[in-house]
Amino acid sequence: MKNSKRSSGDSTAPRIGVFVCNCGINIAGFVDTKEVAEYAKTLPNVVFVRENLYSCSEAGIRDIKQAIIENKLERVVVAACTPRTHEPTFRAACEEAGVNPYYFEFVNIREHCSWVHKDSRDDATEKAKDLIRMGVARAAYLEPMEPIIGDVTKKALVIGGGVSGMTAALELGSRGFDVVLVEKDKALGGLLRALDEIYPWGNKASTYLKQLVESTKTNTHIEVLTSTEVTDVTGYVGNYDVKLSTLEEPIRVGVIIVATGAVPLVPEGAYGYDARSKISMYELEVMLKQGKSPGKRVVMIGCAGVRSNERLYCSRICCMTAIKNALLLRKRYKAQVTVLYRDLMCYGTRNEEILAEAKKAGVRFINFSDEEPPLVEKEAVKVKGAILGREISLPYDKVVLTSALSPAPTNESLSRMLKVPLDEYGFFLEAHVKLRPLDFATDGIFVCGTSRWPATITECLEQSIGAASRASTFLATGSAKVEPIVSVIDPEKCRGCGLCVAVCPYGGIELVETDQGIKARTIEVACKGCGTCGATCYRGAITMRHYTNEQLVAQIKAAFAKV
Amino acid sequence: MLDAGRHPKIRILAYSEVEGLKGRDGNFEIKIRRKARYVKEDVCNACGMCVTKCPGRALDAFDMGLRKRTAIYLYFSQGIPAVMTIDPEHCIYFTKGRCRTCEKVCDKGAIDFEMKARVETYPVNAVILATGLDILDPSHLTHYGYGKLKNVITGLQYERLINATGPTGGHLERPSDGKLAKKVAYVQCVGSRDLNNCAYCSSVCCMYSIKDAMLAREHDPESDSYIFHTDLRNVGKWFQKYEKRAREEYGVNFIRGRVAQIEEDEECNPIVWYEDTRLQEVKALKVEMVVLATAATPAKGARGLARLLGVRTDPYGFIQTKPDEPADTSRPGIFACGFCKGPCDIPEAVSQASAAAERVAAFISQTAGV
Amino acid sequence: MEPRAAVIGGGIGGIQAALDLAEMGIEVLLVEKQPSIGGVMAQLDKTFPTNDCSI
Repeated sequence: MKNSKRSSGDSTAPRIGVFVCNCGINIAGFVDTKEVAEYAKTLPNVVFVRENLYSCSEAGIRDIKQAIIENKLERVVVAACTPRTHEPTFRAACEEAGVNPYYFEFVNIREHCSWVHKDSRDDATEKAKDLIRMGVARAAYLEPMEPIIGDVTKKALVIGGGVSGMTAALELGSRGFDVVLVEKDKALGGLLRALDEIYPWGNKASTYLKQLVESTKTNTHIEVLTSTEVTDVTGYVGNYDVKLSTLEEPIRVGVIIVATGAVPLVPEGAYGYDARSKISMYELEVMLKQGKSPGKRVVMIGCAGVRSNERLYCSRICCMTAIKNALLLRKRYKAQVTVLYRDLMCYGTRNEEILAEAKKAGVRFINFSDEEPPLVEKEAVKVKGAILGREISLPYDKVVLTSALSPAPTNESLSRMLKVPLDEYGFFLEAHVKLRPLDFATDGIFVCGTSRWPATITECLEQSIGAASRASTFLATGSAKVEPIVSVIDPEKCRGCGLCVAVCPYGGIELVETDQGIKARTIEVACKGCGTCGATCYRGAITMRHYTNEQLVAQIKAAFAKV
Repeated sequence: MLDAGRHPKIRILAYSEVEGLKGRDGNFEIKIRRKARYVKEDVCNACGMCVTKCPGRALDAFDMGLRKRTAIYLYFSQGIPAVMTIDPEHCIYFTKGRCRTCEKVCDKGAIDFEMKARVETYPVNAVILATGLDILDPSHLTHYGYGKLKNVITGLQYERLINATGPTGGHLERPSDGKLAKKVAYVQCVGSRDLNNCAYCSSVCCMYSIKDAMLAREHDPESDSYIFHTDLRNVGKWFQKYEKRAREEYGVNFIRGRVAQIEEDEECNPIVWYEDTRLQEVKALKVEMVVLATAATPAKGARGLARLLGVRTDPYGFIQTKPDEPADTSRPGIFACGFCKGPCDIPEAVSQASAAAERVAAFISQTAGV
Repeated sequence: MEPRAAVIGGGIGGIQAALDLAEMGIEVLLVEKQPSIGGVMAQLDKTFPTNDCSI
């Protein structure tokens, strides 16, 4: 085995530089960074130490790059915050200063020290020293690596033929990318097919849908497969092989967009729901579309079956749907409509306008508290008006339960096939709920529309056009760059048992025939470097790049060796 | 932010404003006014020596006026580009004709008092508007006492107060006497959902007020928080759980009712008068600080910019988009995302940003055949 | 000429739009009226619903 402690052009130990970040007072307020920096100077191989106010700022980066060059640093240790947000920044700084980016080691003294030990400056400082000692020890054993670049098949798969799926497909199609659009139903359209009017658009859902389906079907770049389900997915970013229920041969695509939508919750057990005189909002929607009146006296009850301990989420669109339909009932049938609500979710500009319009049109709104929900009796709904302060009795012809959108039941199997997560409710879980709403953590797979979270049609459009953008960043360049932190299999030790293949959550290992028999092989573009295979291999044949045994052992030894 | 600063395809023109746009069909010429910083961007390394010597003072806009900064200043410490800027309205040399101390202490020679604003013209194929938001100045809503009562602040001021990089180093020191505020009221819909101000819902206040209340508790477990609200519009992923956590784990008090009036006692403790709509009672609550969730509006100057670019706005001044073409403005080739086209939270703004980028790419491939 | 777009506003929306465009190979001018980019989000301490930092 080569001595990785040596770096090119240097026959002795590597020259290590340590940068201790104050993060303003985020770190310096709770950790004695001066003392930590002084301590770092005493560590083996450390030839340079510097404290920065903000290491990640442009000035901080410039400072690091300059120090690397001036002091001929070969390894860089930054003690600052989290690699999750800032590792790419510092790696890039190393690279720009001529040091391989994987010669960089990140030590987290913010989350792991200043944030969690706010009450004890001394302990936080001591822990920061320990962590830096460990980081420096590992840094000496780091090895240079190059990113892995894979080809991307310039074709996308969109799963789900509702408004989101069609829109995503049309966007990609209009830019000349080939798209396969699969829909499990026999017709395109999804939930939109059941809707009557779309507010605040002022047009019929059917008119809009007809145009959308027409454009989708006539786009020469889009292949539409209805009555089709995804049955298996293998491969990795740039090259996914997808089996479809209606095709013999798997298709190969570069990226996948999940747009499978959601389903209306049947409010079984809520407020005496019986699908006759007590119906769901979805059922009312269908009635309206068929031109049927629900009667003169309609009482709508909000949050049926949601915002409860059992389903602790707000489905975002139900209040608006209720108000829209209340207005329709006023206009079309001059019905008397009362909306019972907990909170009216009319966020933004247009929604608030429609609420005002509904009030003006004579729709009555009564607030109730979740501790005193309305009581649906045979002929009337009794409710304690939480703002009115008294109980009112509302005779009805129909009670309409405004219930939520709930996750499609197929999400579970699809999430397993794609190896992407669901949230605790069963909606798809994006890579980051704020900053990466349309990406999955797995490269090359994206999400949009109500499969991610309930959304209005306009919001679905924004997300699906956005998902097309995210997907096209791979399609446009035709290549995918991934981290070289992958598993390494020693063919001498491997017996080809296939245990690693079975446990890999990313489809990142395959068995291949070689001259020495069957051996496991890493598919580098797919491997995420999670290490599960390494832990499983009873032959000890698998190690992880960038987390080699000698790196980790050095780190562990340093942890227990106060210098 | 850093990724944008580093990307070879992105050129940041900070301290710059759009002056005009000519052309059509994907052949535009955009005129950009590069304001004079009086500091050379490529020379300054934000070492801060000038700041230690500068005698000029002005209210710090980034810290919402909660502290003073020098006339030569760094907009904020992690900003990109990380360079100083001289504010000529408060610079002693520009206002009184002598000083130039910064020039003397800068060993990089980065100061340039002769610098002039210049107008640059670039050919572009498309434009995205992402001008964001400003908050409503609530001074004219006199019943809240903002501007008169020292311990009544806005939500954005609170963000700076509780921020470790802010004027108090993250301590919730109230403006009147620097005492740590232990009992704080958060007032919703200040100017929002108000026909005389912003008739719309600003969409983010319910959630950020809950966050603010949780942060106060994290800073001081002994503190008490009261949120005065109407409808609690917590509609995004995990928002309901967040609200529940605030109630159950953080002990945040939620009071349904609009605040009618805020007064103060002789120690500058705000007294909040409100109707508790659950009890149909008018009540008063003495607190140590009040945080107003002021309406968020289109950014100052956004309406003028829209007019300059020839794109339509709605009655509130937000960029108008059609519900079925949510990223496209009224002028072909100009797209919009984020708060400038209506209230939205971060994930919505990010999704819309990707959508706008997609529409630009589609527009370019259709007009230029790229 | 390489395709080019101007993004006006350097907050979270403008930055994300610029990054997507750049990744597609479109050159971007990111115009910001303040001395540096970051927008309102840079002023925030932490952001809901995960209370992590905003930059």
